[in-house]
Amino acid sequence: MNFGNLIRKSRLQAQSGDKSYSLRKTAARIGIQPSYLSKIERGELPPPGEEVICKLAKDLGLDTDVMLAMAGKVSSELLEVIRSRPELFATLLRELKSAPDHAVLKLVREVRDGEW
Amino acid sequence: MITLERQELVIRFPDIHPRAEARIAFQRTLRIPDDGRNYPLPPGMGNFPLHHVEDHPEKLPGKWARHGGVFMPMYQSEALWLSFGSGHHDYPIALQIAAGKINAVNGEPWKEDMQFDPQGYVVSNQQPWLDGFCVEKGKIRQFVAAPLGSGMSVEEQITGEAEFGGLQIKAWPLKAGVYEEMYRNRPSSSWSDDMVMVKCCMSEESAPMDMGLGMGGSMKQDIYDDTFRPEDWDTSASSRCYVHLLNSMSYAQVTGHLPPHRPYEAADYAAAGLPWFDYYSDRASIEGSEAFKGLKTWKDFQEKKDGSSVSIEPKSVVHLEEKPGLGRPVSQGDCF
Repeated sequence: MNFGNLIRKSRLQAQSGDKSYSLRKTAARIGIQPSYLSKIERGELPPPGEEVICKLAKDLGLDTDVMLAMAGKVSSELLEVIRSRPELFATLLRELKSAPDHAVLKLVREVRDGEW
Repeated sequence: MITLERQELVIRFPDIHPRAEARIAFQRTLRIPDDGRNYPLPPGMGNFPLHHVEDHPEKLPGKWARHGGVFMPMYQSEALWLSFGSGHHDYPIALQIAAGKINAVNGEPWKEDMQFDPQGYVVSNQQPWLDGFCVEKGKIRQFVAAPLGSGMSVEEQITGEAEFGGLQIKAWPLKAGVYEEMYRNRPSSSWSDDMVMVKCCMSEESAPMDMGLGMGGSMKQDIYDDTFRPEDWDTSASSRCYVHLLNSMSYAQVTGHLPPHRPYEAADYAAAGLPWFDYYSDRASIEGSEAFKGLKTWKDFQEKKDGSSVSIEPKSVVHLEEKPGLGRPVSQGDCF
């Protein structure tokens, strides 16, 4: 499924239970023209910029990182993280490229539990 | 394992099942009037910021470092609610929620084992949120922050001690085999995606102040029965987290960041005609706890009436239903 299809499918699913997810009302909440959103949904225009993608993801209850990835983009937040230590994170990402999910999760920082 | 991701606690059991995941967000909200009426569900106004306790060892109490976990800022008499989700999956996770190590669901002292009778937990994909202490069937008393040591917290009223404060959470996953069997023939779209649910604030020079949770006004909310059998749960696997409540007045001193703005008054919100929420499900719900009966609520500790317990009339109540196949998570966070 491409970016536009996912947006359309998610919006229509929401609209079936809540009329405020019409093309016009969704576009108004995002701050874009309905015709622009329509063309994005139909794949006639490329995915919008990061700000609009983030607003769309939030409005439709979708994962922002997944949406950005589907649009061929990386969030400015993640870019900043990589730019702060480019060699380290480039190496890390390459090493983890083929690692299974459970192995990647072992590298994630856990909330420490103590004595209580 | 429990991680902190985008101001949410994310609980995973990757060794049990790759889909075994639950998310808990702590929502800022209005303190509803404590006037004896049962109010509808108030809105969410964004997540409380969460921080690892171990990132600020020199500025937080030593006992917090021993407890581990996370902390978040709350203003005195500020209210909160917890929202539960299953991420992009539908894996049931049992969540025991306590305030000051008093179980908010069954009123019993904290126990490390799962409490089946009376039920002492909620199930992540069956209970969309928890706004307070379960005092009666279909009725809760709102979580309201109070300085630990003031005598206002439920913990202090029940135990006579101001020892723990904060919130304590423990999670257990459903057995992988039970999950696979029950969900084998279900559509790939997740249960939580199909469900209509609402997700939508001492002086600066003084030491950080520990907060506990007392009881505020009444609200209509069911705590749903666990539809699984006790043997369906994998009680050999668990994760737990201590959520400390830091007085917002000490937040900048500890973190270097400004705390969230003070919460809005319920009366201002209602006067503006902004929406409240009502949730309906035909699931069976549990009885309230006798342990909470007779406890003083927030208004009983106020020497002067400041008008914040004056009744209000919510003009707009949005009715939400659990409708498989319809709806989507609606963020309450941006509605004010």
